[in-house]
Amino acid sequence: MSSTSIPSKFDVAVVGAGPAGSATAYLLAKKGFKVLLVERGRGLGDKQLFGGRVYAQPLREVWPELDKEAPIQRWVTRERVSLVSGDKALTLEFKGGERKSFTALLPQLVAWMQRKAEQAGAIFATEATVDEIMFKDGKAVGIRSGNDVVYADVTVDAEGVNRLLLERAGIVPRLSPDHIALGVKEVLRTGSSQLEAAFGIGSDEGVAWVVVGDVTRGVPGGGFIYTNKDTVSIGVVIHLKHAINAIESGQLNNHVYELVEGFRLHPYFRNLWHGATISEYGGHLTIEGGLSFAPKRLVYPGLLVVGDAAGLLLSTGINYRGVDYAVYSGKLAAEAIEYAASHGGLTYDNLLEYERKVKDSFMYRDLVRHRAVEMLMNDPTMFSKLAEVFIGLFSQMFEQDYSVPTPYEAFTGALTEHNMSLNKLMSYMITAVRGL
Amino acid sequence: MSATVQATNKQSPEPKPMKLEDILQSDVWNVDEEPHIVVDYSKCEKCPTKPCIYLCPAGCYTLAGNRVVFSYEGCVECGTCRVICPMDAITWNYPKSGHGIMYRFT
Ligand SMILES: Cc1cc2nc3c(=O)[nH]c(=O)nc-3n(C[C@H](O)[C@H](O)[C@H](O)COP(=O)(O)OP(=O)(O)OC[C@H]3O[C@@H](n4cnc5c(N)ncnc54)[C@H](O)[C@@H]3O)c2cc1C
Ligand code: SF4
Ligand code: SF4
Repeated sequence: MSSTSIPSKFDVAVVGAGPAGSATAYLLAKKGFKVLLVERGRGLGDKQLFGGRVYAQPLREVWPELDKEAPIQRWVTRERVSLVSGDKALTLEFKGGERKSFTALLPQLVAWMQRKAEQAGAIFATEATVDEIMFKDGKAVGIRSGNDVVYADVTVDAEGVNRLLLERAGIVPRLSPDHIALGVKEVLRTGSSQLEAAFGIGSDEGVAWVVVGDVTRGVPGGGFIYTNKDTVSIGVVIHLKHAINAIESGQLNNHVYELVEGFRLHPYFRNLWHGATISEYGGHLTIEGGLSFAPKRLVYPGLLVVGDAAGLLLSTGINYRGVDYAVYSGKLAAEAIEYAASHGGLTYDNLLEYERKVKDSFMYRDLVRHRAVEMLMNDPTMFSKLAEVFIGLFSQMFEQDYSVPTPYEAFTGALTEHNMSLNKLMSYMITAVRGL
Repeated sequence: MSATVQATNKQSPEPKPMKLEDILQSDVWNVDEEPHIVVDYSKCEKCPTKPCIYLCPAGCYTLAGNRVVFSYEGCVECGTCRVICPMDAITWNYPKSGHGIMYRFT
């Protein structure tokens, strides 16, 4: 942050120009607030990594021009879910058609959001790592990066999952592996015609594909595949608590990159991107169990917390909603600041409007409803066990030499083969169905 | 006429995983002169499982014999090592303003 070009007093300082911070800054600047948006990265969007699919409707509330203008890779028209066990796989496909979600490359999408914020009048400072949120008498009064200090009536923390600033301020405890997963991703360049032929889709179609089972060598987690225009995003996500346990027990003695490579080369999937080159590789943390990750409050005197930093991310094992939640929480924060300004000032009491808005929102309701997922995540073997039993069932039904089993025989055969009682299976199913 | 065996007659070999260092060639960094992460190796000596060796996606932690060696240059700033280190051996920060990994497609 060069101190010469940037005034040192703002209405609002937003730390972190991801989806959450960019949306907050955009909406506030549009309403005439004096906004500073600060990002540690150099190029637009260059610290951004996610899986690959964004739900559109919450974003349209901020940018109605989204469908026309945003760097959308493909609209998702097909949802696939695969259970994998060894080389065997069971896949379910749903063909939709509505423009509900799209695939994207996050650096491009976020760069678009950042430019929107800048065009609306926000001052956008890149290459500026904020070192601390400054407090005076228990109230946040601004931010410091190196020797540069900027004061603001309200600071919005949009720093993402790795909350160094909130930790330094003593607001959240040190990040613990209990609520965190690591995602490792490869982008594979295939070319659009090969991609469309391999996935069996048209040029105006896209696939979002979730893989559960033993892509992660028995460590609970899963894999994802998203089709972009001419590349495919693939990756694995592993829960760090379970990964540590698996290393301790000797079950995991591979490097985590080998899990992605194993997935890329898995016999069931590898022909989808045959001959592709890897055009990028990376890793990023993400949240498991949003509400237990959330800070105690989302509003502190002079400070609002939005996006991942606020624990606002829903991950059910099948559905993943982080970008749209981040944008939507940014929208609610901007509205609350506007509300406060028009109700006598940016006081703590007025800013509490943000917390009320979050609690009234679809995000909070869903995070509460999906709490059972946390239970599910606590039983590390459940997903792979379910995958084994279902694949066992189909393998009994389809892999035959002479005798054809009745469905009942196939079912009980699969249960005994995998050492599973009907009771246990039912309780797994109930937890899974409740959770998902 | 020479009796060369045609390559196409052979069964195509199982595809092999790439090496991590080759995969990382596809990434771009603006490398800082100073490390943003500092490891207290004396704690690593007593660390029983050394999870950083397996879980750092960029392979920044390697073993030389029994000794852990850390190099910051290829770090993708995910924060995993900070979270999983059981010995509190890591002083973790982001790279200085504007430095580090520069994603384009992910
Ligand atoms: C592997 C993986 C797969 C995912 N898949 C999906 C998916 O398919 N769909 C989906 O919707 N969501 C997905 N997510 C989640 C989604 O990426 C996040 O929820 C979303 O990016 C959160 O936005 P944010 O703005 O809160 O934080 P971030 O996107 O993390 O942005 C934070 C920004 O703040 C900057 N910053 C941090 N600290 C500082 C500082 N001290 N000073 C200056 N700048 C700072 C960072 O550089 C960054 O640009 C995935 C995440 C991962 C890791
Ligand atoms: S986990 Fe921590 S203490 Fe253990 S080897 Fe790695 S850096 Fe050292
Ligand atoms: S932050 Fe991530 S990439 Fe960097 S050294 Fe730690 S684990 Fe490796």
